[in-house]
Amino acid sequence: MTLTTTKLPPHITNEKLIDMYKEMWLIRYFDEKVDQFFAKGAIHGTTHLAVGQEPSATGPIAALQPKDKITSTHRGHGHSIAKGTDVNRMMAELFGKVDGYCKGKGGSMHIADLEIGNLGANGIVAGGISIAVGAALTSKMKNSGYVVLCYFGDGASNEGAFHESVNLASVWGLPVVFFCENNQYGMSGSVKDMTNVENIADRAAAYGIPGKVVDGTDVIEMLNVTYEAVENARKGNGPSIIEAKTYRWKGHSKSDAKLYRTREEENEWKSRDGIKKFKELLIAEGLLTEEKAKELQQEAKKEIEDSVTFAQNSPEPTIDSLFEDVYA
Amino acid sequence: MYTRKGETEMRELTYLEAVREAMSQEMRQNEDVFVLGEDIGLYGGAFGVTRGMLDEFGPERIRNTPISEAAISGAAVGAALTGMRPILELQFSDFITIAMDNIVNQAAKTRYMFGGKGKVPMVLRTPAGSGTGAAAQHSQSLEAWTAHIPGLIVVQPSTAYDAKGLLKAAIDNDNPVIFYEHKLVYKTSSEVPEEQYSIPLGVADIKREGKDVTIVATSYMVHKVLEAAKELEKEGIDVEVVDPRTIVPLDKETIIKSVKKTGRLLIAHEAVKRGGIGGEIASMIAESEAFDYLDAPIKRLGGKEVPIPYNPNLEKAATPQVPDIIEAVKELVRY
Amino acid sequence: MAHGIFMPKLSSTMETGTILQWFKEEGESVEIGEPIFEIMTDKINIEVEAYEEGVLLKRYFDVDAVVPVNTIIGYIGEEGENVPDESPGIQSDEDDAEAVTSAQASEAEVEEVVAVAAAAETRAASNEKLRATPAAKRIARENQVEISLVAGTGPEGRIQERDVIDFIKNAPKATPLARKLAQSEQVDLASVTGTGVNGKILKQDIAGALAPAPVAEVKPAQRKKLAGMRKVIADRMITSVTTAPHVTLTSDFDMTKVKEIRAQLLPTIEKQTGYRLSFTEIIIKATSLALSRFPSVNAALIGDEIIYNEQVNIGLAVAVPDGLMVPVLRDTNLKGLAAITAEAKEIGKKARDMKLSPAEMQGSTFTISNLGMYAIDGFTPIINQPETAILGIGRIQDKPVVVNGAIEVRPMMVASLSFDHRVIDGAPAAEFLTELKRILENPYELLV
Repeated sequence: MTLTTTKLPPHITNEKLIDMYKEMWLIRYFDEKVDQFFAKGAIHGTTHLAVGQEPSATGPIAALQPKDKITSTHRGHGHSIAKGTDVNRMMAELFGKVDGYCKGKGGSMHIADLEIGNLGANGIVAGGISIAVGAALTSKMKNSGYVVLCYFGDGASNEGAFHESVNLASVWGLPVVFFCENNQYGMSGSVKDMTNVENIADRAAAYGIPGKVVDGTDVIEMLNVTYEAVENARKGNGPSIIEAKTYRWKGHSKSDAKLYRTREEENEWKSRDGIKKFKELLIAEGLLTEEKAKELQQEAKKEIEDSVTFAQNSPEPTIDSLFEDVYA
Repeated sequence: MYTRKGETEMRELTYLEAVREAMSQEMRQNEDVFVLGEDIGLYGGAFGVTRGMLDEFGPERIRNTPISEAAISGAAVGAALTGMRPILELQFSDFITIAMDNIVNQAAKTRYMFGGKGKVPMVLRTPAGSGTGAAAQHSQSLEAWTAHIPGLIVVQPSTAYDAKGLLKAAIDNDNPVIFYEHKLVYKTSSEVPEEQYSIPLGVADIKREGKDVTIVATSYMVHKVLEAAKELEKEGIDVEVVDPRTIVPLDKETIIKSVKKTGRLLIAHEAVKRGGIGGEIASMIAESEAFDYLDAPIKRLGGKEVPIPYNPNLEKAATPQVPDIIEAVKELVRY
Repeated sequence: MAHGIFMPKLSSTMETGTILQWFKEEGESVEIGEPIFEIMTDKINIEVEAYEEGVLLKRYFDVDAVVPVNTIIGYIGEEGENVPDESPGIQSDEDDAEAVTSAQASEAEVEEVVAVAAAAETRAASNEKLRATPAAKRIARENQVEISLVAGTGPEGRIQERDVIDFIKNAPKATPLARKLAQSEQVDLASVTGTGVNGKILKQDIAGALAPAPVAEVKPAQRKKLAGMRKVIADRMITSVTTAPHVTLTSDFDMTKVKEIRAQLLPTIEKQTGYRLSFTEIIIKATSLALSRFPSVNAALIGDEIIYNEQVNIGLAVAVPDGLMVPVLRDTNLKGLAAITAEAKEIGKKARDMKLSPAEMQGSTFTISNLGMYAIDGFTPIINQPETAILGIGRIQDKPVVVNGAIEVRPMMVASLSFDHRVIDGAPAAEFLTELKRILENPYELLV
């Protein structure tokens, strides 16, 4: 379909756009809820929140076909929800309960839903990149026709595995799109200090593949650019790198005092809230009203609250489950 | 040279040929199996294991990779996770260091972390060991590292016969298997059946029956121990040689049974003695019912705590040799 | 330099001493030989003297403190010398002579320690010092072999499996009882001939091995099993001797008057009873009177209760073939000599004929054992339990004694009183015997 301003991929309907709007609220409320629970100490361990990065989850993943797969990062709740992972079971996993995606044994950084093509979040920075390449290899060898959307961050682009994997994918022409969410910081390391190039996507030239920079707060731009890259890969033209400039509103993890950045910077990015911009766009296109928008927002909120109830009601795993699933 | 043993066609194959045959026979009937590694294509592999396989299976299934152990190990994980059964060849087992994250943090843990969903049916084949003058960074035996990680299966076949059967079992297994070959064992040969056969993982093999001393040995050390056994026999000492074949899961019962029989245990491996699997086996025996049958302290032979030197004499001195084994057994028997 | 003052070890069993008092204050000067403090041990209170001179620099423990031996409890030295603020505890090597106070005890202790160490070296005293392989221990366990008996041929004397197997193979077959006895009596099983099945060594074979070897040329000894009366006597004797602490008092009695009285009463009693009055009956009568005056000698100790008998029943030890019986004469304090004589004679005959009824053998409160018909003076009779005393009578023999400063020949008799020191102390027993002497030396009192 087409917006008055831009063309959209053929499979994107009005309903889809509205779903995307609600989806971003789902992501935001999920991570905010999780943040609250962590602050209260009600959730164990640690997590990495993507509040502020909802558009770069929703936009690109909307470009995918159902058979396409994603690999995610440690900051992957948004990717997961966008790919269709059930928030109830996600919340249950964070609570360590049996009904969680990983039966309570994985936690925030290892949520995966293989059936719908979510090859999992990963606790190792750049850990998912070579796995994405492997999954793309399968697609090529089996002629399955699916593409792998590989998420990684600015920090990961400095890992050896990134270089090796992108090189390998480019050499073998694999159907994988490397999507970088450059949120300006690799934990506390500012990308300006840790990377000697302006744009991570510029590194694509080193591998002889296309690289494109997009606005991480612009859902539609990311949707379109990803679609193009994915379809290109699906045709057999090999991988590409997309870099979305974005920002995470909260710290790296719950124990982050954010001493490495300024309030002004945060506020500047917050003023460019991608969800707000998308709402305005949809309203301008006549696809959404304020009331409807509010309604959707409330629905999303309710869904998250329900997910908490679901998680709280889910049972704890038994101690015997400790030894299950070490081997297939 | 063909001989008939019952219904089976047996012939002498080298260990190297046996590994190739295991892979080829499996690849002929299972499309999902493919090999990736460095220089495995035209070059035929650094040790010649994959020689000829490119011609038979083509570049898609004999995938020559860039020198990117991190990427290719991760790719193996990703491919295995999405339905393939990759065989990853790491040119020297020392390079596992670069692939460690994908082996330890991804392959070994994916199924468990995902709560029982997904599996990583990959085989990582790699030659280990010293004796070729390849020096410190190309001569190590690091099986203890992978033996330490839950979720991995670790195999160390010592003969051509064992290698072929265990590799088939490894490929068939739905878990990540680390398959340690040995540079010097490649050229050893034994009678190997023509057809496909599988040797169960986790089952030890008594390479030589005896009653005076149990020697648990792995990989190339099995050959040295058997040589020592011949010498010891002349002096009236009858050793039993137990080859675990699989390190994880370890066939504890066979070892325990043997120690109960002989009352004396020597563990011999090429890997550095400190922190090697010998310590694990010794402790396991001390904690088992076999303890009450020990008539002498448990002894271990292992590599010295040095990087493998280049000079050939020094290289030999760094790992247990036949005279060391003979002396160790005699000490045990003197007790 | 400062010398430590130690809690001395004054006996091999002393482990702690309690400080009773200090004789010196901190800062006071001390001379060699001066008592510094007094301690109480498990046995005695003792003052401990100084072996050094100087100033008492420090006292670490107060009065009533219970201190382990060899603990440093203070220091003597030059004024101003530095000594620890707290007791350094037990010192094993001393640089001063304080330890000499316990030297004697420690020497013995050291000897003991050396002996133990030597024993440990040659033969393992306990399992901790034993070096044996797990396999050896297992075989020993399974065959009930005391592993410390096995000689080890492994390195440093470690006992190997084959050592235990050899030990079992060479060990003679024996019953568990026999083994136990052999071990406790330290009899080498190899030296014993087994009389059981297939030459198996039985307990009696061990016992036989313990008996002194018979001299060659001598007829084999007669054997008789300890049974019946002999066994009863044996059991009762051993019980009495091992439970009652026996003390025997002896006294010489001048029987002149007794002889007189007997001579005079002899015809009367014979006419009355048909029996001849003997000295025994007079002694019985006198003893009964004395007993009535000394209830503790007429008592019984049963359990932890002393029963002061109201009646006086005299048990009279009577020799019977291959044994001894003690028929009982009742209420002898209430009966006249005629009655006593008659009873005594009758019951004595019954005893010798082994025709006593159980009732006639029970209820004695005091026993008299007369060996006067033999060449016996004093002896140490064994108390007839549960009585608390027994009187032994020896022969009446003319002896020179001093009477009123002149030597005279008198018929003397030694009376031996064994008493149970749990119930009767020496003085009261002596009093009783003295009283008995007095009565017998003044027998007309019996009429009173």
